[in-house]
Amino acid sequence: MSSPDLIRRLSDELAQDPQSLAFLELGETLRQQGERDLALKVALKGLERHPHHADAHDLLARLHVDAGELERAYDEWDMVVRLSPNHVGAQQGMGYVRFQQGRLAEAEVHLSAAASLDPNDERNLSALEYVRIARIDAGEVSEGDPMNSRLMSTQEMPVIIPEAAPPPAAAAVHPTAVTPQSITPQSSAVQSMASGAGNVHPAAVFHDLLAGGDQAAILLDSEGLVLAGAYPGADGHDVAEEVGAGLSGVSEEAERAMRHLGMGAWTSLVFETEGATLAMAPGPDGGLMLVAASRATPLGFVRRLLERAGDRARAWIGAEARP
Amino acid sequence: MNSPFSALLGNVARHRGVIGSMVVGEADGIIVDANLQVGVRGEIVAALAASLYRRARLAAHSAGYGSATFLQLEAEEGRVCVTGRNDLVLVALAEPRANVGLIRVELLKGLETLS
Repeated sequence: MSSPDLIRRLSDELAQDPQSLAFLELGETLRQQGERDLALKVALKGLERHPHHADAHDLLARLHVDAGELERAYDEWDMVVRLSPNHVGAQQGMGYVRFQQGRLAEAEVHLSAAASLDPNDERNLSALEYVRIARIDAGEVSEGDPMNSRLMSTQEMPVIIPEAAPPPAAAAVHPTAVTPQSITPQSSAVQSMASGAGNVHPAAVFHDLLAGGDQAAILLDSEGLVLAGAYPGADGHDVAEEVGAGLSGVSEEAERAMRHLGMGAWTSLVFETEGATLAMAPGPDGGLMLVAASRATPLGFVRRLLERAGDRARAWIGAEARP
Repeated sequence: MNSPFSALLGNVARHRGVIGSMVVGEADGIIVDANLQVGVRGEIVAALAASLYRRARLAAHSAGYGSATFLQLEAEEGRVCVTGRNDLVLVALAEPRANVGLIRVELLKGLETLS
């Protein structure tokens, strides 16, 4: 059945019986069609009638993720787990949120729970392994640290190393493959971690974080050379090298200023121009993370994008460094 | 003695967490007028903020973004907000708890005074 037909059928069903659970399928279908606002209305209406239905909260959580409202999504999934303690998707979702927020230890706990609940799903194991490596790279735990395995409570669980995992890497970062609409805790959200960013072409590392063609993200090394990301110019060519070279000197200036002012290390620099909003932050290994968005993009969103791109850069660098 | 910028600087300094506001020459980093809390090293802040803004403005221009309108540098223990026009920059130095949205609006409003 085509999506419009399905939507019509489900809408009719819901109109005839407002208590029906058809709102779950209707909301999810609308969500997949990119009709987030409508999907949100359906989900909220459904929740009014079924406030204790775990899948209704799960649907709402995914809608929040689509909107980049990670903390709200986390709260909804937390509610799902309270209502349905064995809900794998909620654990995956919370793991995804915490990973995106750079709270790796917590991500690991949730993904560990998901893997325990569904040990046959290879993506859970791969995602868990990826987060574990990210934690080691971040210096949160050391390799062979017994606390590491205790934290995850998965000593008995077979771990699938990323090399052995299916290769969804390209799909995980391709903008059309992982749009916000397609993120579900049981699919790309986990895949994007499980894939291991190290398998991704450097130019595509940040693709799935960007909401449209008016946004760009690049990671520069300590000498101002592009490590990852792309910056499409007006003619479609990648102008990341030119932009990076022009802007990398600004971070040196910021560093110098903070050193003299005694205000601690600089954490971000945002500047608005006539044509765009640019934001940068210290990147891994003395590098620089830079994101740009059109002036129409809210400033808060740009800062959020910078944080997420920074997290992604650190994970990617960590994956690249692995032998 | 009141300067043409006194009211503007007072408006900026009134915001929560702001510990200093200044009008500074962009090219030389010298203070034109300032409203600073005791202990703030105004001359250093002025020189560095002007230099940073100039660098960012030039980089943005050479990268094809047009003129810079507002800059915000965040650090672990504070933040510096800068905007500029006509070779002058308006600087606010603030604590991390400051509401940067309000400071930004105030600085951008203040641009008119710099004209």
